[in-house]
Amino acid sequence: MINATKKWIFLKISSVILVPLMIWFLLNLVSFYDKSYDEVFLFFTTQPSKFLFSLFIIFGYFYSALSISEVFEDYISNQKLKNVANKSLYLFAIIIPISTLLLLFKLSL
Amino acid sequence: MKDKNPLSPHIQIYSWHISSLVSISHRITGVINTVILTLVCFWISLLLFGNTNYDLIQKFFETFFGKFLIVGTVWSFSFQALSEIRHLFWDIGLGFELKISNMTGLLVIFGSFVLTIIIFILGRNLF
Repeated sequence: MINATKKWIFLKISSVILVPLMIWFLLNLVSFYDKSYDEVFLFFTTQPSKFLFSLFIIFGYFYSALSISEVFEDYISNQKLKNVANKSLYLFAIIIPISTLLLLFKLSL
Repeated sequence: MKDKNPLSPHIQIYSWHISSLVSISHRITGVINTVILTLVCFWISLLLFGNTNYDLIQKFFETFFGKFLIVGTVWSFSFQALSEIRHLFWDIGLGFELKISNMTGLLVIFGSFVLTIIIFILGRNLF
């Protein structure tokens, strides 16, 4: 299987998982965005919202990285520049969710 | 002379179609959603500092810009979700006919606004 096919399959799997997680997150976001610190803190640190939010962040960045790399593929013709853009994107999509998950873990202690 | 060189007309010369509008919007909202996701992660990191300065965040969300950001977030994710569902139907070979493709494109555009309203009604317990 070539890389482009693998990438497409991963993109589709992540989108199927992400759509219900997006709806779940939006429903919760509109209910707590203007609430007090304690209520927001409770949402992010208690189950099942903590687990579902972690999944949302992981699949959200995974999907974003794959779809933005498609944009790079279409609009960046210089191969070197495209490689740098893709590597920076993947690094960003790994560092941000991992540090957020570590933060959530620290907040729950 | 260099500045007067004609530019390639690229996409400007093509008339807009629903499918091109939805396709471009899908890409734009994809990038916007990544920025929003990062802002949400930043918001969570602010929780680490405790509740002493959290009033500022709460006050920000009460401003027009704060509310606009939330409404925009809900619309952007709604658009992306509906557009992605449209793509998934295409992936199983459904909805390629021009008439159906235009209808589903319109459904994504108007549906994203309807879904935004529904999410607010359900999320804020307005009924």
